[in-house]
Amino acid sequence: MDFKDYYAVLGVGESASAEEIKKAYRKLARKYHPDVSKEADADEKFKDLGEAYEVLKDPEKRAEYDQLRKYGARADGSFEPPPGWQSASGFGRGGYTEADARQFSDFFEEIFGGGRRSARGFDTGGFGGFRQGHSMRGEDIHARLPLFLEEAFNGCEKQVQFKVHEADEQGRLVARNKTLKVKIPAGMRDGQHIRLKGQGAPGVGGGENGDLFIEVELAPHPHFTVEGHDVVLTLPVAPWEAALGATITVPTVDSKVNLKIPPGSNTGRRLRLKGKGFPGKHPGDLIVVLQVVMPEQHAGQAEALYRQLAEAEKNFNPRSRLHV
Amino acid sequence: MTPKDQIITIDVIEPQATFSLREICERGHCHAEFVIKLVSYGIIAPLEETADIPQWSFDLGALARLRKAQRLQRDFRMNLPGLAMSLELLDEVESMRREVDRLNRQLRQLLGEW
Repeated sequence: MDFKDYYAVLGVGESASAEEIKKAYRKLARKYHPDVSKEADADEKFKDLGEAYEVLKDPEKRAEYDQLRKYGARADGSFEPPPGWQSASGFGRGGYTEADARQFSDFFEEIFGGGRRSARGFDTGGFGGFRQGHSMRGEDIHARLPLFLEEAFNGCEKQVQFKVHEADEQGRLVARNKTLKVKIPAGMRDGQHIRLKGQGAPGVGGGENGDLFIEVELAPHPHFTVEGHDVVLTLPVAPWEAALGATITVPTVDSKVNLKIPPGSNTGRRLRLKGKGFPGKHPGDLIVVLQVVMPEQHAGQAEALYRQLAEAEKNFNPRSRLHV
Repeated sequence: MTPKDQIITIDVIEPQATFSLREICERGHCHAEFVIKLVSYGIIAPLEETADIPQWSFDLGALARLRKAQRLQRDFRMNLPGLAMSLELLDEVESMRREVDRLNRQLRQLLGEW
């Protein structure tokens, strides 16, 4: 088991006052709250913060922790509590707490865990209606599933891993990792949910199981962007293709199509390919945005041809909007 | 195949899939009064805000928002007006982040950095 340095988690010194600890916690909680932060490990950081604060804000727990910190930590960062260690301020006896202790680490459990893990009688933070003795619906679980555009487009089979809290034979609440293979239907868009009925936490006392909700998260694609049901592709074209018109092979998300560029096109022109966007009952479109590009190096005769073109187009002022 | 590793048929939430007031309370572990307050502050909205409160129904977005509101209220001890404002600002930040991401990607493509 790794030793958890709660002072480092909160970024305070070991002599920090209760006020300093509270202040550090509040500031970091705002920064790493999973509903606010975009940092990838915000969830983990926020849990660590809650755990560290739970211990350091309580003078009794803090004193015990300080003692352990002094004697229990080994040089390699691992940790064993001294033989016969028993917390006097464990959760089971600690009275009212707002923290969701099920989230805390093994380290915390080992030190302060005396009898807190009971399937009945834990308190997740008190919004009422969730109390011991009743039959109770299992918790819904919300998970995110990142998908590549191609996977979302065509549908795929994915493994989804999540943690579920359920009671073991002794009625203690334990976290179990659950893996499900899920068939994702074609046409799932960013932010859409899939519900897996009854795959959440098991109900207690005959209550129904919770559901698992999976939110699809689309990974950015190097070529395509998504706007609602539509897929947008920026398509480079040569100046002569734009001027004269052309038929060009264009990639769609899952195949290729031939696209007719009308003569006299310009950068920014949007061409819509009906039904080539996200599949579904109302399939979206593929929107091709033209982008006129120049060759990096011109062929030998090009210069002479450009001179001819300059002569023929001498009335064109590309800077007329700048009044020069 | 172990029970831990099963293939299950999935049930995709259609936009019309809804929860009754009772169901949303049950899933959110809260009282109806709390949901009614969230509605009156405009934090969540039933699909149709009729005078007949027990008949209200909510979509999955409302349930997700209810849970988020509960977490923020618990973790920051916010009152309802503060909660309403924070959620609105968070929505705005989120949609701006998405827009900035999208525009950045398009810009990189236009500049030929792909």
